[in-house]
Amino acid sequence: MKENNTPMLQVQHLTKHFPAGSHKLVHAVDDVSFSIERGKTLGLVGESGCGKSSCARTVIRIYEPTSGKIFLDGADISALTQKQLLPFRRKMQMIFQDPYASLNARMTVHDIVAEPLRAHNICATRQEEHEMVREMLERVGLNQEHANRYAHEFSGGQRQRVGIARALILRPELVICDEPISALDVSIQAQVVNMLRHFQEELNLTYLFIAHDLSMVRYVSDDVGVMYLGQLVEKCAADEIYAHPLHPYTVGLLSSIPVPNPRLAKEKDGSGLEGDLPSPIDPPSGCRFHTRCPFATERCREEAPAWQEAAPGHFVACHRING
Amino acid sequence: MNEQNRWERVSGDAGEAERIYRRSRTFLGDVWFRFTHKPTALFGFILVVLLLAFCLIGPVFTPYTYSEQNNKLASIPPLLKVYPGPAEGSNLYITQGLKLIEVDDEGHLIRQLKKKKDDSKAKQTSFTWDDDTLVYLDYSRLPNTVLDRDGNRIETAKTVWNRTYLLGTDQLGRDILTRLMYGTRISLMVAFIAALVNMIIGITYGGIAGYLGGRTDSVMMRIVDIISTIPLTLYVILIKMCLDDGLLSIIIALSSVYWVDMARVVRGEVLSLKNQEFVLAAKTIGSSTKTILFSHLIPNAMGPILVTVTMLIPSAIFMEAFMSFIGIGIAPPMASLGTMCNDATETLRTNPYQLFLPALVICIIMFAFNFVGDGLRDALDPKLKK
Repeated sequence: MKENNTPMLQVQHLTKHFPAGSHKLVHAVDDVSFSIERGKTLGLVGESGCGKSSCARTVIRIYEPTSGKIFLDGADISALTQKQLLPFRRKMQMIFQDPYASLNARMTVHDIVAEPLRAHNICATRQEEHEMVREMLERVGLNQEHANRYAHEFSGGQRQRVGIARALILRPELVICDEPISALDVSIQAQVVNMLRHFQEELNLTYLFIAHDLSMVRYVSDDVGVMYLGQLVEKCAADEIYAHPLHPYTVGLLSSIPVPNPRLAKEKDGSGLEGDLPSPIDPPSGCRFHTRCPFATERCREEAPAWQEAAPGHFVACHRING
Repeated sequence: MNEQNRWERVSGDAGEAERIYRRSRTFLGDVWFRFTHKPTALFGFILVVLLLAFCLIGPVFTPYTYSEQNNKLASIPPLLKVYPGPAEGSNLYITQGLKLIEVDDEGHLIRQLKKKKDDSKAKQTSFTWDDDTLVYLDYSRLPNTVLDRDGNRIETAKTVWNRTYLLGTDQLGRDILTRLMYGTRISLMVAFIAALVNMIIGITYGGIAGYLGGRTDSVMMRIVDIISTIPLTLYVILIKMCLDDGLLSIIIALSSVYWVDMARVVRGEVLSLKNQEFVLAAKTIGSSTKTILFSHLIPNAMGPILVTVTMLIPSAIFMEAFMSFIGIGIAPPMASLGTMCNDATETLRTNPYQLFLPALVICIIMFAFNFVGDGLRDALDPKLKK
């Protein structure tokens, strides 16, 4: 692999608003910036509805960004038309959350996995296509006998592996995993995550890994970003965020991880999150977390905190941290 | 088994865990399996096949044509009430026009007797049987009857099935069975063509509206709303009035109106499918719009589409019959189930069978297609797999 210092993915001030009725906007993603180095994994965590999936879908340009820039391997893809995007689609692929909804029930597994090859006219002959699909299926632990079957005949784990095969057959460099394991049961989760890690090492993949399961994110990620109501509130190395969380929301999220030992659980302080996520149609003024923050002050209500580097490589947006 | 090894791991390799035990079947094979395992659907399907055989192959076996008239044998019912005739094995049937027809024991119509003299005072008519025999018809009181050799009324009549015209004749003496075959042929043809045209227009229109969404969708669906607020029957009649009589204009009238239901169904399906993850996946892959529409959206919407089509067929048939019934449908002498019903209403009291038979065929067609449509809806849902 040649030495290349441009980040695989760089997102600058990405904003995505959805129209919601008359003159109202859903602030799904608001001014989010991050970058992922080649071969690394950025985990993106947050509650349901905080904009993780919208962020991922905007990055991969299923949704049109309202504003902001997306650089894929140094190239700005945020303003390209779908036609111009086609060559870039080979470099970035997505693994979806629901393995039941992400596979077309009317297509055989062979056709599903071969679809990217056909879309990009990669195989000259049927023979070649057949060979590539067979090889890819074998790599995810499925065999030729599975290729002629329909998706609904498979178990959840098998389906998700078909989804992985579809995403990886083009040999992409960036793979966006949109909660790839949250619809699977625990024993299968480990299998799928290990498979993803294995492919990362083998193919030097870059992952944007979205999850709400913090313990799994710690296992797979190099960096972790925490999102709250469309905004990134904290970002640092994976181990750092578990050891020294700075933002009160991150602290709250971490305390919500179930502890297997009930005696230890009792010792934990009661700083779990309370209340619900405010509506993204009319987000709170100032710091968006002030409605649920135990440390909220007048300043938090009026002034949005700046994105600052509290420690080397540890970014946070909170007034309590004065860098 | 003792307590110790109850929790021991069962043997089995990793490959075994990945195996799928269910027999591999193609999608169509699967649909066929589920379709044939639903009794009502299978029954409907057999009915449709029988109807097709009836109207396509049937005319080969009948000696009559749909337009051949025989005024002497008008309005002969399928079940004849006959009186014994002068000769051995001969019977006499009294027509509504007070004429005598010779019928043999098996029910074949032999000939119409020649009228000799009408005695209006005694209310008796004499007919020539052969050179030296006369037969008398007595209509002095009901029921009309034939007099025997001694001049007494014969009160006992026997019934015999009409073997010459199996389902009788209409008021112009045309064979009803033959006309039913041609009528069914017309009805099914109108229905299939109208359904096909509606399917093409509806899928295209609804697919575009649903896939593009937004303002295009709103405008296109408001047009559909406007078309559908006018009662379809009225609309078809209006279109029909501007066009010449005939098959083509019926098909045009039906096709230009009935697609609105199809467009709504397709639009709704596409709208709900296009945000599903497998369509998003196709987008991230970089598949073309054509691929997304024709290999993702339409195949997945095929279930409701086919059901709508099979439900549309009976309503098109009914519409055709209705238009013919009110006299703006198929031009005579061509038979259609609707025109047959219409013709029969004039003589409904005396010849109810003339209305009953075409109405029965309409019912059978409607039943058959509704059953098939119902069965298809269940069969096309891959999640209802057995």
